[in-house]
Amino acid sequence: MSKPIAGSSWIRNLQRNKWIYVMIMPGLLFILIYKYIPMYGLIISFQNYRPYKGIMGSDFVGFEHFQRLFTSPDFWMIFSNTLILFGLQLLIFFPIPIILALMLNELRSEKYKRGIQTLIYLPHFMSWVIVVSISFVIFTVDGGLINGALESMGFQRINFLLSESWFRPMYILQVIWREAGWGTIIFLAAIAGVDPQLYEAAKMDGANRLRQMFSITLPSIKPVIVVLLILKIGDVLELGFEHVYLLLNATNRQVAEIFDTYVYVSGILQGQFSYSTAVGFFKGFVGLILVMGANWLAKKYGEEGIY
Amino acid sequence: MKRTWIISVLAASMMISACSSGNGQSGGTNAPSTNGEGNPAPEPPTKISWVTPLHHAEVPDSRIEELIEEKLNVDLEIQYIPAATWNDRINAAMATGNLTDIVSMTITGGNREAIRDEQFWEIEPYLDQFENLKKLKPEILDNTRIDGKLYALYQGRPFSRQGLIYRKDWADKLGLSAPANLDELYEMLKQFTENDPDGNGQQDTFGLADRGDLVSGAFNTVASWNGVPNEWGEQDGKLAPAFMFPEYMETMNFFRKIRENGYINADFPVTSKTDQQNLIINGRAGAYIGCMCDVQSLYTGASQLNPDAELDVHNRVVGPSGEFTVLSGPGFNHPYLFPKSAVQTEEELLKVLAFMDSLMTPEIANLLYWGVEGEHYNVVDGHAVPVSDQGKLDREVKPYNPLEVGEPTTSGRLEGKFDYAPAQKAIELFADNEPHVVQNPTLTLDSDTMTQHKERLAQIITDATYNYILGEMDEAGFNNAVERWKSEGGSRMIEEFNEAYDQLKS
Amino acid sequence: MVGDKSWSSRMFALINGGLLGLFALATVLPFIHVFGSSFATAGEIAAKRFLLIPTTFTFDAYRYIFSTNTIMKAMGVSVFVTVLGTFWSMLISVMTAYGLSRKDIIGRQVIMFLFVFTMLFSGGMIPTFLVVKETGLLDSYLSLIVPVTINVFNMIILKTFFQGLPDGLEESAKIDGCNDWGILFRIVIPCSMPAIATISLFYAVTYWNTYMHAIMYLSDAAKWPVQVLLRQIVILAGGMNFDNSVYTDVPPPAQSVKMAVIVVATMPILLLYPFLQKHFTKGALLGSVKA
Repeated sequence: MSKPIAGSSWIRNLQRNKWIYVMIMPGLLFILIYKYIPMYGLIISFQNYRPYKGIMGSDFVGFEHFQRLFTSPDFWMIFSNTLILFGLQLLIFFPIPIILALMLNELRSEKYKRGIQTLIYLPHFMSWVIVVSISFVIFTVDGGLINGALESMGFQRINFLLSESWFRPMYILQVIWREAGWGTIIFLAAIAGVDPQLYEAAKMDGANRLRQMFSITLPSIKPVIVVLLILKIGDVLELGFEHVYLLLNATNRQVAEIFDTYVYVSGILQGQFSYSTAVGFFKGFVGLILVMGANWLAKKYGEEGIY
Repeated sequence: MKRTWIISVLAASMMISACSSGNGQSGGTNAPSTNGEGNPAPEPPTKISWVTPLHHAEVPDSRIEELIEEKLNVDLEIQYIPAATWNDRINAAMATGNLTDIVSMTITGGNREAIRDEQFWEIEPYLDQFENLKKLKPEILDNTRIDGKLYALYQGRPFSRQGLIYRKDWADKLGLSAPANLDELYEMLKQFTENDPDGNGQQDTFGLADRGDLVSGAFNTVASWNGVPNEWGEQDGKLAPAFMFPEYMETMNFFRKIRENGYINADFPVTSKTDQQNLIINGRAGAYIGCMCDVQSLYTGASQLNPDAELDVHNRVVGPSGEFTVLSGPGFNHPYLFPKSAVQTEEELLKVLAFMDSLMTPEIANLLYWGVEGEHYNVVDGHAVPVSDQGKLDREVKPYNPLEVGEPTTSGRLEGKFDYAPAQKAIELFADNEPHVVQNPTLTLDSDTMTQHKERLAQIITDATYNYILGEMDEAGFNNAVERWKSEGGSRMIEEFNEAYDQLKS
Repeated sequence: MVGDKSWSSRMFALINGGLLGLFALATVLPFIHVFGSSFATAGEIAAKRFLLIPTTFTFDAYRYIFSTNTIMKAMGVSVFVTVLGTFWSMLISVMTAYGLSRKDIIGRQVIMFLFVFTMLFSGGMIPTFLVVKETGLLDSYLSLIVPVTINVFNMIILKTFFQGLPDGLEESAKIDGCNDWGILFRIVIPCSMPAIATISLFYAVTYWNTYMHAIMYLSDAAKWPVQVLLRQIVILAGGMNFDNSVYTDVPPPAQSVKMAVIVVATMPILLLYPFLQKHFTKGALLGSVKA
């Protein structure tokens, strides 16, 4: 501001882009009012908060809740469970919608394509409660479909639902089943935005469909993939509380307990808001570091990143 | 495209304005109706607000609310909260000072701290002024006490509805009578599994259908038959948690054995109540232990598939001690509390209590529980028989059930009558259970550790119990879990409860 | 069309189509189970656990849910909130996303970071409740819309799409005398219809699925959207006890009723997708604008 030259370019920018700033204003105002003002609520992670006393009336306890979290005997178990499920999400689930979208794009019958699209998008609308109860019917050892089939083929029954080793496969399968079709929508939109002239040019050069896919479609939708990847990484600790909670039982807790389920039992059910908020704070902090890291990497490799 | 958007916005906004004007009218009809009593100088209606859980997937109809407003000259504002989100909403209301005059809420955990912090009115000094409220059962009111003080009114419930529901036709075919003890119960489950009770020549049935709920599923009931105390019990003059009693281990062994032998659904720890009930309905399992009230819905489903299916209920099963004991609830469902932030003066409190008192008259109690006579129910031989239109009942009457104060014996509300004999028998067995119930001695005791760590600690034991039953853990493993429970706060909890217990006794 | 008619490309098309068909079948079977069960009797649901087509059709479940106008009224509320909310959110999100897609904005990176930060940290339910209360939205349908105006995820996606548009478009529009509003509404939006359709769908689905805010901010049960009822019935039917009440003595609703409510409450939003699908046709709009 003190430098006249910088100041004048500032003003010139404001003049030139005045409507752009006006466009950003409502969105900015929205997050300031409905997102940033309530953030004072994070204070309660340093308090012994009691709802009836309010934030003003509750006692401060410093880092006690964070200490309790980090020294909890289950902390590392929960931390690694969370990371492993996140790894499955990232390595197994994340590419599937992209592959599905590319496959859909290769379908030549427009009707068939639309039909498939509509069907695979259905499961997203069933709540986890329904998904889990349907998989119970399919996988239970008490007359479930799969075990019935295994038995009639002469195999041993497998206790899918009460087993530590089957929890992760069940989890990721259900995620794929419910979300993969839904996830394709965004990539189909990206593919639809690819300039058709590029394909024409490639055809002239004699590129077959597979070549076109790798040399045109994929590079064209790369920015969207990168942005979604960074956003996904920021969501590292959000693995779907309801879903995991419904799958959790006495036999698989050692591999299935994640931060959200842990805090539900040891915080929320007992009205321990401060502890729950402290765990939320920690999760946000981990997410922030990962997002910043991913964004830095993306930028280093010449991508736009998310900020 | 644009046009359809505009039309739908318009249509929707018309619908909204239609809704809000509807509300305005219902408020408006109040005033004249109070004049209908013929009072020369009608008092303005007392404003009463009430937040209550909703257990149905229906938006409540305001008809009964209006009838009550008219009869009692009040201006009632009922806020319903779906039961599934109850805690979030109540905590938000508490934190933001938005509580209503009457709050139906649990008196455990964080709520207990708020009550001890004098956020709610202590009502004991006032009860004697009200001829109905003073009839409330002292043994149930006592169960709501905190530090010996009384803050809550209650809706009554039978102390124990626990029992056995079983396939009578299967038992008859196999020559089995209702089990009088645990050995006979075991024998019944065994024969239901091995002796082809449905006579189809295939071994496709089993004994007990259970679900993933140790408390209201079969486990705790069988444990109480076996002599395990209710959550906590006295051992050498000291309070100790139920799982430290040898009978708890015996009960786990019972379940472990029936699961090993296939007399119970192998996946019971992850079975939902619906799937559990389906196992009885579709004739795969023959026994169900839990609330005997479920016999009606089980029969409705089972008879659709197999008209010959017969069910019966049974309660008296004894363990090795030979004495019949059964798990008990606290005897109340919804405690009603009166927050000082909403009811600010003693005068206001008296008005609210007077309103609660008037809910305990037979007329209003019937209205809240059964609805309007002739429309929602009919009186047959001094009992209420609801009409068959379930949708109408769910929308117009059921949402008001959780506003009941007291129970039939104190309010004069009509008892129900079931056409289906076992369902009627179940009600009689609730009463038969009553002299034999085992209460949880810590119900009115306080322990800070309990308040803060109850769920997490309970989970250690629940997990260990399941793992033991499933054979994933041996006795030493279970004892390790108990040690872990102790070291993570259990020992403190035992001390705190015993301190409070000694204080109470002295 | 080089290579398109060759044997290998036919095989590829066959396998590709077949695999997608299988995946679609796997996703649709449970849905048929839900749909079929809504027409089945309680006995049949219990007997055949993975029921697809009931042998005896009954409309009892639908008769029950339509015996009162609860569901229809709640659907009306949901449609209203979804239409208004989607429109509002798209307007603000598109403006913000376009503004931030312009690289010559002062403090662009800081502003973007401010948005991203809100995805990771939240003040929690109670402070948000207080802000909603202070801004006078309690008990108004606007409380379901205004506090969730922008979903940052959606906004970032939109911004990414806008950044992918050819630079030449804006320049030529400027030369034609358009100001920034003109560029946004006449060039950028028409050229980004696939993205606009996608994000509209995302918002519509989010608004359609709203239930927590409705319970928190609307104390009048008559104002509840349909998801509150759907969720209530699904949870009740599951026999889950989330409210810690000692006695759960309300018999769970019939399975068929649960399934029927799911069918009725999801049908409108399911029907939205086929209407939006035409916007996913390859490059159609981009071409038309250029021409």
